[in-house]
Amino acid sequence: MSEPSQVEAARVPLVEVVGMTKRFGALLALNGVSVRLEPGSFHAILGENGAGKSTLVKCIMGYYRPDAGRLLLDGVQHDIYNPRQALAHGLGLVYQHFTLVPNMTAAENLVLGQTHASPTIDWANERARIESFQRNMPFHVDLDARVTSLAAGEKQKLEILKQLYLGHRVMILDEPTSVLTPSEADQVLGMLRDLTKAGRLSVVLITHKFREVRAFAEDVTVLRGGRLVGAGKVAELNDADLAGLMFGRETVFASADRTATKPGKAALEVRSVTTLNDKAMTACDALSLTVREGEILGVAGVAGNGQRELVEVLAGQRGIEAGEVRVAGVHYDRSRKQMRRYGVHLLTEEPLQNSCVRGMSVAENLSFRNFDDGANVQLGCFVRRSVLRRHARTLIQRYDIRTPTPDARLDTLSGGNVQRTVLARELSGTVSVLIAQNPCVGLDFSATSEIHSQIITARNRGAAILLFSEDLDELLELADRIVVMSEGHIVYETPRAAADVETIGLYMAGHRSEREDLWASNA
Amino acid sequence: MSVGGDIGVWSVLLAIVGSALRVSTPYLFVSLGETLTEKSGRINLGLEGTLMMGAMSGYAVALGTGSPWLGVLGAGVTGAAFGLLHAGLCSLPRVNDIAVGIALFIFGTGFAVYLGKPLVHPVAPRLPDIDLGFWSSLPSLRAALQVNALLIIGILLAPAMLWILHNTRWGLKLRTVGDSADAARALGYSINGVRATATAIGGFFAGVGGAFLSLYYPGAWTENLSSGQGLMAVTLVIFARWNPINCVFAALLFGGASALGPALQAVGITSNYYLYGAAPYVLTLVLLIRTSSTKHRLFGAPSELSINK
Amino acid sequence: MIGAAVWRGPEAAVLTVGAVLVALLAFGIFVAFTGLDPFAVYKVLYLGAFGSRFSIETTLTLAAPIMLTALCVVIPARAGLLIIGGEGALVLGGLGSVLAGVALNGAPASLATPLILLAGAAAGAIWIAIPAALRQFRGVNETISTLLFNYIAIALLNHLVSGPIRDYGQPLKPTSWPIPSAFMIGTIPGLSVHWGLVYGVAACLVAFVVLRQTTFGFALSILGGNLRAAQMAGLPVAALALTAAALGGAAAGLAGAVEVVAVHGAASISLVVGYGYAGILVAFVARQNPLAVVLAALLVGGISASGGLLQRRFGMPDAASTVLEGCIFLAVLGSNSLYGRLRFLQSRSAEVK
Ligand SMILES: Nc1ncnc2c1ncn2[C@@H]1O[C@H](COP(=O)(O)OP(=O)(O)OP(=O)(O)O)[C@@H](O)[C@H]1O
Ligand SMILES: [Mg+2]
Repeated sequence: MSEPSQVEAARVPLVEVVGMTKRFGALLALNGVSVRLEPGSFHAILGENGAGKSTLVKCIMGYYRPDAGRLLLDGVQHDIYNPRQALAHGLGLVYQHFTLVPNMTAAENLVLGQTHASPTIDWANERARIESFQRNMPFHVDLDARVTSLAAGEKQKLEILKQLYLGHRVMILDEPTSVLTPSEADQVLGMLRDLTKAGRLSVVLITHKFREVRAFAEDVTVLRGGRLVGAGKVAELNDADLAGLMFGRETVFASADRTATKPGKAALEVRSVTTLNDKAMTACDALSLTVREGEILGVAGVAGNGQRELVEVLAGQRGIEAGEVRVAGVHYDRSRKQMRRYGVHLLTEEPLQNSCVRGMSVAENLSFRNFDDGANVQLGCFVRRSVLRRHARTLIQRYDIRTPTPDARLDTLSGGNVQRTVLARELSGTVSVLIAQNPCVGLDFSATSEIHSQIITARNRGAAILLFSEDLDELLELADRIVVMSEGHIVYETPRAAADVETIGLYMAGHRSEREDLWASNA
Repeated sequence: MSVGGDIGVWSVLLAIVGSALRVSTPYLFVSLGETLTEKSGRINLGLEGTLMMGAMSGYAVALGTGSPWLGVLGAGVTGAAFGLLHAGLCSLPRVNDIAVGIALFIFGTGFAVYLGKPLVHPVAPRLPDIDLGFWSSLPSLRAALQVNALLIIGILLAPAMLWILHNTRWGLKLRTVGDSADAARALGYSINGVRATATAIGGFFAGVGGAFLSLYYPGAWTENLSSGQGLMAVTLVIFARWNPINCVFAALLFGGASALGPALQAVGITSNYYLYGAAPYVLTLVLLIRTSSTKHRLFGAPSELSINK
Repeated sequence: MIGAAVWRGPEAAVLTVGAVLVALLAFGIFVAFTGLDPFAVYKVLYLGAFGSRFSIETTLTLAAPIMLTALCVVIPARAGLLIIGGEGALVLGGLGSVLAGVALNGAPASLATPLILLAGAAAGAIWIAIPAALRQFRGVNETISTLLFNYIAIALLNHLVSGPIRDYGQPLKPTSWPIPSAFMIGTIPGLSVHWGLVYGVAACLVAFVVLRQTTFGFALSILGGNLRAAQMAGLPVAALALTAAALGGAAAGLAGAVEVVAVHGAASISLVVGYGYAGILVAFVARQNPLAVVLAALLVGGISASGGLLQRRFGMPDAASTVLEGCIFLAVLGSNSLYGRLRFLQSRSAEVK
């Protein structure tokens, strides 16, 4: 049924998801979520990072096998264990990360997902069909271009064209607009809305941007921590309601003791830094920041707006195209010598990928910063393992790392304990500059407040702290000053005292110039 | 230029063409097979062993049945079995495909020599010649154009493979698996299954290449029949940029380069004999250096290939 | 993932021994099919490898160069590089030592011999540092380039010994000029095994200490385990990788030099007998641990040494030892997938009892 000529013929089914549950090890990523998608409706799913949105739609598509839950199409239950089955039922998903085949042409990618088809491809015929299909589309992709040569926006359009060309009746899009410009996003979503209005398609749109929800969606479902926390008609909810549901206002942390220090000299300066992402596109665009001694500067923003690349620049993991980083007033070359001299430390997200070695022991991982320090070395080149181990024991106790012995391999520890290991390593030396990126993701309540108080303590000691977080509550609790990062720029800045969760949320969600309207509506 | 000089140049050229055509056939088969395997995202460094197993089993089957063509088939089947062994081991977690390839190279070579011990003396029926130079009366030209049907099959196989890779669902599936495991998973393809099929076919081809060695040229089973053609296949594929048609030219080029030294020697030019032999390797290395970058991958390389990560 | 191969003590030992036993079992089943008594074969295998003074000496002599070429895999692997260029580095080491030996003609042996060995090691070091540099600065895959380098080295050897440095007094096989016989190293007192064994074992011990106990080794483990973590720790990534590759190359180059000064007295194609590939096998069987390399090299050397006896007793082809080595390699690689599942295996076997 994947032939476009039959698009008119096939009906759009009523899709119901009932009690979807999915665990990853100990983590309950999705907890009994139910969603109902009327034929021809445009349904938005909102939720902060890690809320379980992608997990939900991957369970629907058979990409993951849910632990519990059912999928009903027109009231009939279907067991879908493999994405091919979902595709055959007319369900299409534009994944959060591209699933185009890089070394194939656009045309080849378009025909890939066809399910009921002959073993050979009649390209003349197929091309004629693709071309007539493209004529009815508001945007076009060069059919003979290789995917590698397409820009991110074009790739995203191709992904969407692919789903439409395959004649899917239910289209799920997982944050499709993060790589599109606002006008491209409007064009794409507008076309999809027209198709739903015409009754030819149902759309599920996962997004962080309220503007898109408001402009295009009829229904909205909000997830948080794997649970359904709200659902309803978009028209009946205002942005403040949505932000409240998404970011969970009821979680209130006990504020850590913060001494009233006056920020000192500029300790870390990012001066007009431009850097590229892995696809060689600009990730940070002449971005500048200054963090002073005794200050926590919080950086808010939706993932994928250049935060990761900026952290990598500061960590020495990514090249700088233009601009400069300065620490304590001098050029910072990110060498071990300078890191040590100026006390630069980092807490990055996904420590197993970014800052630890799985196959080395806890004690070894704890000593990456100081294994070659004077006191730990004898005869000029030998590591004094006994000293490192003793040092590790102290840290394990102080930071409450749950490990059987200091010699256990790091990857035998739970995620939270891996994080504590990094925390112990990075915070135990003399910290003058600390760069922290989502330091509490995946940690339980007590560990989180402990890390928070560690960060505050470092600040009280006079350290300059740059804190990247996707959790607004965390920023509101910790930061002295908050900036919002969006599309590689700093788009908003506010002192903590004047910070307002809805305002920041709106800037995170892509608002730029509506600042006045916002103040007006809040007043 | 003197007449004598002309004849000298011509006979060198003819000798090179003739032996290039003969020598290149195994290169062609192993590289076509490896292209398919690498297109699926795996690298099989063990084709040297597969080639030897193919040569040995092909010789044995031909000897037993009296039919060299059944020998070729037997060699292919043996090669496919080795391909499946590689694929099976590589589908296990934490198993590195390059290391498995080296292990199979050692194992296959040893196993072939072991089992082939009784085959050293008997004479198996040889694959027939095809006389492409029948129209000429020059004996040296006729000798140079005596080729084997396998060469022609190999040359025809290349465009067929290209067609399959671009015009069939299975070809697209194979390329998807080799290029983006994420895309393959999103489409519900069995990644290990596709790779096993591709590695088995690659092994089949390498086995056939081995049968050419023992059943046509040099045309007997010996313990050092292969001189690294199987290991070279991997670099040949890189040289051919993962394109089957280019494999034909690359195989002819490599065959020609390895024929260059002997041909020059035949007319009395013996200096630098071995340096000419190194030409294919140096050529490949230069190509690799020119096309690699720390920022992006080799052009045309399947993205899932471990040597590209 | 090669570089992250950190010795997991008992688990690795159990898996390796288990894999070797499985390989022996498979080999036994195979020989049973060919009509031989597997237990008789096992016995001869043992006798040929370790059963007599002579067989032990043969085993030790064969194991010596393999220990060194295995280090050419093990040391770079610590930095995350999969180098298979040991064969070529060995050849270059042989050539380097011959040139040094000829150049030093007339010098006192006590001075010349160490210099010859050093020259061999230096040639190997430079030879393997080149692919590592290509990797660091051009992104050229080091496995493929070292494979090519092997062929280039062999071509270079053939070229040199058949012309530029040929000893025309040797009519049978193209051979290089000989090094002065005074520079040859003899055998270890009381054994008819040359000093190469001592160098091999010493190199493994030194490699073990350097990789395990020094700050350099520690930094290499971080780099090989996770490039990003090494960058974050501010380590000089390129310098570390190049040094590791050069040290590995030096070990293989030393193997070539030892073959020249202890065995052949000159360079020829006799240097190319597969020690480089045997080194890869040994490195993987030893799971990239330099101390285990000594044992694994003895195992592989022993299997090779027993080839002759198997041939004489049972009329087995001498490739029997290669078959067994291949089986061991495959079994050890396959056993990698059992890491971490061992506890499950143990508890199940406990239940069975
Ligand atoms: N394959 C996996 N294995 C283990 N944990 C996973 C896996 N996929 C997701 N998770 C975890 O499940 C939780 C939900 O993830 P999910 O990707 O659904 O979030 P999301 O709502 O899509 O967030 P984002 O907005 O960042 O895309 C997260 O805590 C994530 O770390
Ligand atoms: Mg998501």
